[in-house]
Amino acid sequence: MARLHPALEPYSPSSDDPFDATKVAHLLHRAGFGATLEEIDAYRSLGPKRAVEKLLDFPDLPVEEQGDEGPDLSGIEGYPNNFAERRKLFESKTPQERMELQNMLQRANREAVLATGLWWLQRMVTGPTPLQEKLTLFWHGHFTTSARDERSAWLMWQQNETLRRNAAGNFGAFVKNISRDPAMLDYLNNQQNRKGRPNENYARELMELFTLGIGNYTETDIKEAARAFTGWGHDGESYIFRPSLHDEEPKKFFGVTGKFDGDDVIELILKRNECANYIAGKLYRFFVAETAEDGVLASLGFLLRESKYELRPLLYTLFSSKAFYAPTAIGTQIKSPVHLLTSSARLMGIDNPSRIPLMGVLEQMGQVPLNPPNVKGWPGGRMWINTSTLFVRYNTSLLMVSRINEKDLNPNRLSNPREIVAYWLGRLIQRPIAAAKRAKLESELGPRPDNGAIRRMIELIVSMPEYQLC
Amino acid sequence: MQGDAESKVLSLKCSPVNSPLSTLNSPLTTMKDHMHSRRLFLQHGMALLAATPTIPMFLDNTAMAFANAVASQDSGKDGKILVIVQLSGGNDGLNTVIPHGDDAYHRARPAIGKAAKDVLKIDGYVGLNPNLAPLKSLFDNGQMSIVQGVGYPNPNRSHFRSMDIWQTAEPDDERNTSGWLGRYFDSCCSGADPTNQMDPSSGVSIGEIQPLAMKGEKFSALSFERPDSFRYKGKNLDDFVDLNKPLSDATPTRDAPREADAGRRGKPVIAPVTEDEQLNFLSRTALDAQASSDRILRATGAHKPGVSYPGGEFGNGLKTIAAMIRAEMPTRVYYVSLGGFDTHANQAGRHDQLMTQLAQGIGAFMEDLRAQKNDERVLLMTFSEFGRRVVQNASGGTDHGAAAPLMLFGSRLKQGLIGKHPSLTDLDAGDLKYNVDFRSVYASILQNWLDTPSKPILGRQYQTFDLVRG
Repeated sequence: MARLHPALEPYSPSSDDPFDATKVAHLLHRAGFGATLEEIDAYRSLGPKRAVEKLLDFPDLPVEEQGDEGPDLSGIEGYPNNFAERRKLFESKTPQERMELQNMLQRANREAVLATGLWWLQRMVTGPTPLQEKLTLFWHGHFTTSARDERSAWLMWQQNETLRRNAAGNFGAFVKNISRDPAMLDYLNNQQNRKGRPNENYARELMELFTLGIGNYTETDIKEAARAFTGWGHDGESYIFRPSLHDEEPKKFFGVTGKFDGDDVIELILKRNECANYIAGKLYRFFVAETAEDGVLASLGFLLRESKYELRPLLYTLFSSKAFYAPTAIGTQIKSPVHLLTSSARLMGIDNPSRIPLMGVLEQMGQVPLNPPNVKGWPGGRMWINTSTLFVRYNTSLLMVSRINEKDLNPNRLSNPREIVAYWLGRLIQRPIAAAKRAKLESELGPRPDNGAIRRMIELIVSMPEYQLC
Repeated sequence: MQGDAESKVLSLKCSPVNSPLSTLNSPLTTMKDHMHSRRLFLQHGMALLAATPTIPMFLDNTAMAFANAVASQDSGKDGKILVIVQLSGGNDGLNTVIPHGDDAYHRARPAIGKAAKDVLKIDGYVGLNPNLAPLKSLFDNGQMSIVQGVGYPNPNRSHFRSMDIWQTAEPDDERNTSGWLGRYFDSCCSGADPTNQMDPSSGVSIGEIQPLAMKGEKFSALSFERPDSFRYKGKNLDDFVDLNKPLSDATPTRDAPREADAGRRGKPVIAPVTEDEQLNFLSRTALDAQASSDRILRATGAHKPGVSYPGGEFGNGLKTIAAMIRAEMPTRVYYVSLGGFDTHANQAGRHDQLMTQLAQGIGAFMEDLRAQKNDERVLLMTFSEFGRRVVQNASGGTDHGAAAPLMLFGSRLKQGLIGKHPSLTDLDAGDLKYNVDFRSVYASILQNWLDTPSKPILGRQYQTFDLVRG
């Protein structure tokens, strides 16, 4: 078992199987939000190993410690988050003032959540650490919290930073941190989980969705774990442990008895093979393919346990593996709505997406950042596609094409239709395209293509089903 | 299961030569001409399966399902139709169906209550809001029923949560990801693909976002704001159709693997999905979308109703629905919303406007259907996520409440008032107590109108009442 599954052994380029533009683009789509031609050149020259090392080379820090100011939350600045301070502020007001303040704060928080989402999309497009953001998006769909339920924009933003800081760190530490995250404590009601009146919501999702997967624990385990998490709460800003609400009595969890608290329960969960397999499998399906050869996921799970749940070794193995570069992985993933938008902006060189109602189209396509549909996150894959979302995806792509800078339509001043088509397919699809479709694109250009014809041809490229895949 | 459905399709005898649809050798235009006739399709649908790679996916997936399971249940064309009107924001039930004969009503609402003399009286106790005159005449003609005091146990007063509860019909499970109508569609068809079980226009909702109520585990309703927004917006539709041609019949659009199936011991290993299969899936969904878009644009373009609908999204939505019914679309469930009911302050004028809009819209719709001679086929139901507090608040408005009346319209309704009006003095935290569980109404509609067993959809058997004349 100790040996790595052959499909996970590193891909090494050969003359028959070179690290070409298609493979580099594949890597940067999956481990980020797509690659420009310059990025393809730069990463190709690194070779597959160093390319992955470079992608994984980011600090496990919140953006505010990476020199990024983060979203503009000025609308909610100056108002206390802390419950006690907020209560004091409200007590000093008349009922009428209280209602007005309440309404103002609600509006300000909604706007701040929107600002956070837009800032995040921008960072995905132009930020220096694409894989960190891609992982943050993955974990946001894993350790979900929705701004529909958590109305505090500040706590939603703090959770986003928690996801980022832990995205490629140690999974065990991650679970302990997220279990103390105020937005999570609200979302899954651990704030209301107290001695004698346990609320099992968090304990259940912790096991069913966050660590083990359904069927790998009993109802008794849930009840006992819930007791261990009693008293874990927050004060509006930060995690607090409320000893008087914590159940100090012994609990029996996974057959072991002790005066467990939440951390003890997490440690016992991490010991289970199912936990490592579950997380490794979920990462594999998100980043590589929806199915794996027999034994691959178990081998990855083993790797995760061996590394004591450090995520970087697992991610390095994934992105370097033969399985990752297999024909059954490349070009087989349906772009998530967020990916479709952000990668379009990158590939088309759009620095000004104004006049594109980003959140509106994301909602119509079924993925609004900070608003996952429920605690299970976004199901993904073919579930992104139905007759309603498909038109929105195509029409949004067309809208993006209309925003490509005029001077960027034919930067190399090509005049041969075939070369122009090849240039734009190389920018937007980066995989081989059937000859008949290429011929159609060329015929759209006509013999002497001007910018108008080139833009029309690009509209056809994004109207091909190939553009929906990466 | 899904495999079974597919193999049954293939084993059925077909008569490809003599069928009028067997001429469908690819051009979409030929198909369009035939598509209006669902009955013809049912008779000859099997022939389609052998025909061509360019038929929309729903046709080959649903041919079987319709021929078998739904044979008795009719399509929208010749069968029964359900229209849902969602009143978003929490409609003030007490100022909609008004207990004018109750002193407690007038005491609780000195500023916003309606004087008994203005109420459109149904009997000595209740009557309709003075702005609902068109609905009052429907009531007098036996075309309107009112179910009084509809709600559910432990009412939730959050808009989002309570709306989810009404839409999923699952007060206790926050993770429910399917709606009651979506499950209705799931239960009456099972086919080969998770996102395209049946003709996507079997359920149509007017609005940018698909309501949770219409989302099944497999079925996904068609959603659009306006008929002309549900289309490919590129310059040339032929290009879109051409670029989205499915590859060939040889490339199946089989079920995408489910997360739960991947890598589980004892489960057969599912072959990875190839890029060609994904392209085929996307292309066929695009073709489905195009076929639906085309039908809808033609239906709505051709409809020139003799009645006038009120302006605004709601009136336009009902007009679109009437047009689609007239055009014999296969749609069985339509969904449309009227928003703005969250009347916390100065509600009098605002709520009266909404009542007017509601009454004029439904009045025009019912008259339109009568002129089309389709009124006997349609049942319309209104609902809101909750009613409002009995006592008005200090701002001349009302706060979130609980039980409220629900209205039904149709030419085949059995009785006027259903259920007892809740007491205005025996309250639950200031709110009306419910007498009828909303799931009883759903169960009655499913069994009595849609001729479908309700238990598989609602999870248990709720009490039903006689809704329509036999």
